[in-house]
This record gives sequence, structure tokens and C-alpha cells, in this order.
Amino acid sequence: MFEGKLNLPEKACRAFPDRLGSLAAGFDIKDDRSGKSDSAFESGEELEILKPNGPGSAPESEDDYVEMMEEHFESRVRRNPKKYGSRLVSVKEVIAADDKRSDLEYEKEINLEKLQRIADTGLPDGGGLRATAWKLLLGYLPSCRDLWEKELTENRQKYLKLKEELLLRPSEITRIKDEVSNYNDQNADNDVDGPLRRQEISQEDHPLSSGKASVWHQYFQHIEIAEQIDRDLQRTHPDMKFFSGDAAFSRKNREAMRNILLLFAKLNPVIRYVQGMNEVLAPMYYVFSTDPDEQNAENAEADSFSCFVRLLSDSVDHFCQQLDNSSGGILSTLSHLAELLKANDEELWRHLEYTNEIKPQFYAFRWITLLLTQEFNLQPILRIWDTLLSNPFGIQHMLLRVCCAMLLCMKNRLLSGDFVANLQLLQHYPDVNIEHLLQVARDLSPDTSSCSLSP
Amino acid sequence: MVLVLAIGDLHIPHRASDLPQKFKSMLVPGKIQHIICTGNLSIKEVHDYLKSLCPDLHVTRGEYDEDSRYPETKTLTIGQFKLGICHGHQVIPWGDLDSLAMLQRQLDVDILVTGHTHQFKAYKHEGGVVINPGSATGAYSSFTFDVNPSFVLMDIDGLRVVVYVYELIDGEVKVDKIDFKKTATTRLAH
Repeated sequence: MFEGKLNLPEKACRAFPDRLGSLAAGFDIKDDRSGKSDSAFESGEELEILKPNGPGSAPESEDDYVEMMEEHFESRVRRNPKKYGSRLVSVKEVIAADDKRSDLEYEKEINLEKLQRIADTGLPDGGGLRATAWKLLLGYLPSCRDLWEKELTENRQKYLKLKEELLLRPSEITRIKDEVSNYNDQNADNDVDGPLRRQEISQEDHPLSSGKASVWHQYFQHIEIAEQIDRDLQRTHPDMKFFSGDAAFSRKNREAMRNILLLFAKLNPVIRYVQGMNEVLAPMYYVFSTDPDEQNAENAEADSFSCFVRLLSDSVDHFCQQLDNSSGGILSTLSHLAELLKANDEELWRHLEYTNEIKPQFYAFRWITLLLTQEFNLQPILRIWDTLLSNPFGIQHMLLRVCCAMLLCMKNRLLSGDFVANLQLLQHYPDVNIEHLLQVARDLSPDTSSCSLSP
Repeated sequence: MVLVLAIGDLHIPHRASDLPQKFKSMLVPGKIQHIICTGNLSIKEVHDYLKSLCPDLHVTRGEYDEDSRYPETKTLTIGQFKLGICHGHQVIPWGDLDSLAMLQRQLDVDILVTGHTHQFKAYKHEGGVVINPGSATGAYSSFTFDVNPSFVLMDIDGLRVVVYVYELIDGEVKVDKIDFKKTATTRLAH
């Protein structure tokens, strides 16, 4: 059944040659895009709540197949008609989605390289494919499908145990201990008047203890972190009902994210919690909990925790202030970015570095440490992360390329801007066509410095 | 999980100059949610000090308190428990359980916190609990000079109270723990 459809990409290439042209020129001027976009998007402008496979409005099409496959992108297209301006790319994605679906559904052993290549072109929004793909790409799920069940249950159990050990409040801990030891004479006290029975615990734990091993002491130390986490969570994605507001649903989500971040802070006493980690966690938790598979969605907290740890594993040094100047620290990464830009577009580099005197620290610090979560809306972030996670050289490597691409895409505006205008532009990065951005990132000449591969 | 400090009868500056150093090092701001003070602080500076430990401070008047605006008794609800405070010099005979039980019924509370005797006591009597945190400075009382500094920290968690008693005996802090659950059988005396 796929034979006929495999021919389509060439057909599509032949059919829409001029779209590429409009793509290249139109990406950086948001207002012009609607003028240059083809008629396919006039119908795409309707905003509806829909599932990815829901009935779509009919765009102009040369082929029934295209029309059918277009349904898969309605959701993304409709949400951001200005961003996904190319039908050429969307058709490719459809094929990829189908390929991918067939791989995931039928193959026992997932070929990780193939998955990386497919994910690089973008994963479909609905159907839980992105959740599973991310788990595979991050190494949380093994490539052999048969082992998934076992791995997942093991990891989820581990998470529950960790929570019990580290997140219980001291009152609960003492209560559990007491219930265990006083089980036999529990009823003795309650009915008898007289002096209440005293238990000497000078050597044990009490609320005012300042011993390092004291549960209470640790609890009070972490109260500050917990408060900061709570404050940040209130501010995460305030426009999304999933995260913000007083509904029980969003409260539950914030509570889950709070547990994850608190646990991470306790397990990493050197880094603890840094403002912004909530933003890095948000897309991942969102993807995992919107998985249509119920079991996966229920255990989104446990899965997100493990994947969050893996995601941060090679960039954790960026959060540690003492390591700023070390070879793995943020300053070193920023200088790699500058080198990458210099290797690819010396004119722009010179303009930013010398004419404007804008150092990468001023804008790229947030881009890099927070994995671009603050620069785009949630949907584009998910697409960008598809590419980041699928890069065989590691997330950081691709991240630097995307940052460089972001600069290149704004080249015209940057070259004509002064310090203030450019800083303003880079710190509030405008909407761009994401597919184009990622294509530019892929096309960059490779960074020749020896540290481009993660050490 | 609410931490409530019950403290009183400091008699600063008349009978003692300050809290024992070991107590002071344990009482740091940020841990305690409420402070219940039975009275006889006796000056404003002590009030300010307690206020710095926790903004929610409840004080009742003792016979040596210089601030006459403190009430004679006070009641407050924390979690599932109703607590009553009274200095205790008004209840005669001093420290008599039956008279204190009368006061408890009058205030309609589960836990009555009183002082004046400068002796730590935790009693279950006629359906309620009476707690006397003693004197935090070890000041002499109307009966005796032999007083160990003590105070009480209550951890109120749902229907259960864990009472931690801190006493300074021979220069060492001794901590005791008392468990108390509110059940249907308490308050039957009413």
C-alpha cells in the first residue's frame, strides 16, 4: 500500500518548487508571511479544537492522498498557521509519521539511528508517538520492545520509593515509626486519666534538632527551596490551562512537577534548584501526560523525572555557578557558540562582537541553559526538541547549532541594528518559521573546535 | 503539620536575666508557626523577642506582666484542636487539676495550657489535656526554688498531637515525647 505513496515526495517537490523560494525570503518578516502563503492556509486559519485525525477542511490539492494526509497536520497548522508555512515540509512529515508509526507498531527492535533520523524531521503531535519517541531517544526505554514493560515498572517503582524516602514530611515519618513500635499498647493510654506517658528521646530526632542527620533539620532546610519551586511553578506557562489556574487538574500537575523538582534538588545538593528548571521540565511533563495511553499518562510523573534527569545530565554544569569558567561550564559553551557563528558568518559575528559589543552572555545564556523554552511557545518548543533530542552527537551540539541558526535567521535585522535594538531583538526573539530555522541549523558548517562533541 | 511553641513564666528581668543559652540556640525563627505564652514574661523586650521567632504570638496575662493589656484567657483553634491559654494564678488552688478542669470546660477546649507553678505537667483529666510548660528560664516560683528550665513544642498533625518536652537538667537538654490522639471518647465528660 505504501508503494504509490512513496513516489509522492518527488511529485510534491516538482509540484511546489516556488514554495521554497517564498519560504527563504519570507521567514523573517512575520507580516509578509500571510501574504506569501499559498491558498492552502486560508482554510487553515479556522481555529477549532480537534484531534489530529479529525476531519479537516479541504485545502487545494493535486492528489487525494495529499488531501487525506493533510488531516494529520491540521492541528499544528491551525494552531500556528503562520509558523508552519510549507506544505512541502508537512507532506514529508506525513510520510515520516507513517513510517515511524509503522516502525513503532510493528518492529520488535527499534533501530535508534533510524528513529533519530525520523524524529529529526518532526514527530506528529497526537497519538502518544512523541512521548514514546522521546523516551527512546533519551535512553529511558530500551530499544527492544519486549523489555519496555519491565523497564517501565522497575523505574516507576524506584521513583515511588525515592519519593517515600525523601519527600515525606517529618510528622508522617514519626507517625509511621510510632505506629510500628507502639502497635501493641496503642489503646492503653486513651481511656485512662492521669499523667500522660513520656518517652525519652534526647538522642533521637525532634523538631528543634540541628543535627545533620535529623529529618526535621533537612526538612526546614528544604522549605526554602520548596517555596521557590512553588513560586516558579505558578509562573510556568500562565496561558495554558494545563499548568496554571486553580482547577484541580492544573493543581495536580503543578504538584507532580513540584515533587519532581524537589526530588531533583535533594538528590543534587550541589546544583539544587535553579530558577528555570521548571521551564525545562514543563514540555516534557506535558508530552508525557497527554499520552493517550492511560498507563503512561498516569505515570507521567515518574517517567518525567527520569527523563528530566537524563535531559539535564550533560548540561547540568551550566547551572552551577562555580563551574562557570571551567571547560564544561556556561562560559565555555557560549564561546563555542561565538566560534560557530564566526565560522559560518564572519560578517554577522564581527558586527555583533565589535560594532555592537553584544556578548553572547547577554542573550544566549537563557537560550542554552533553558534549552530555548523561554524563546518560543510550547508547540514550536516541542518541534525544536524533536530535533535536539534526535541528534546523534548530543543535545548540546544541536542546541548550539540552533542558536547559531537563530542568529543567522535574523541577520538582516541585526546588521542594521544598534546595541539596544539588537539586544531587544535577541532577548525577545520574534516568531519564525521553525522548519526553516531547523534546516538552517542542520546546514551549518560543522564546528571544527575539538569540544563540539560532548566530553 | 503545625508546630506550636508553648512557653511561659520567664520572669525576665525580675527573677532571671535570660533564657538558657542552649534553649536560645534551638529556638530559631522559621520553624514555628504559633507561639502560646502563658504569661509573666514580664517586659516588652521579651515579647519582641518571641515575636521575632514567630509572628503569630498569643499571650495571656500573668500577675507580674508589665503590659496590662494581655487578656486573662485566650482560645484558638489550630487544625482539629481547640487550645486554651490561661496563666493559672487565677485558678485556686494553684495547679489543682479539678479546678483546671473547670476552667477547661468553661473555655470549651481540648488542650489547656497554663503556667504559674513553674513545673512541667502533662495530664489527661476528665476528657481534656492540661499542659504546663513550666518556666523557660528556671525562675523560682511561689512554692520552690528548685526549678528546671523547660518549654514545650507541640506538633499538631490532623487528629494527633506529638508533644515534645524540652528540659534543661544539669546543664543538658533532655527531650521527651508524648503522643496524644483526639478520639471520640475524649470530651465525654461534657
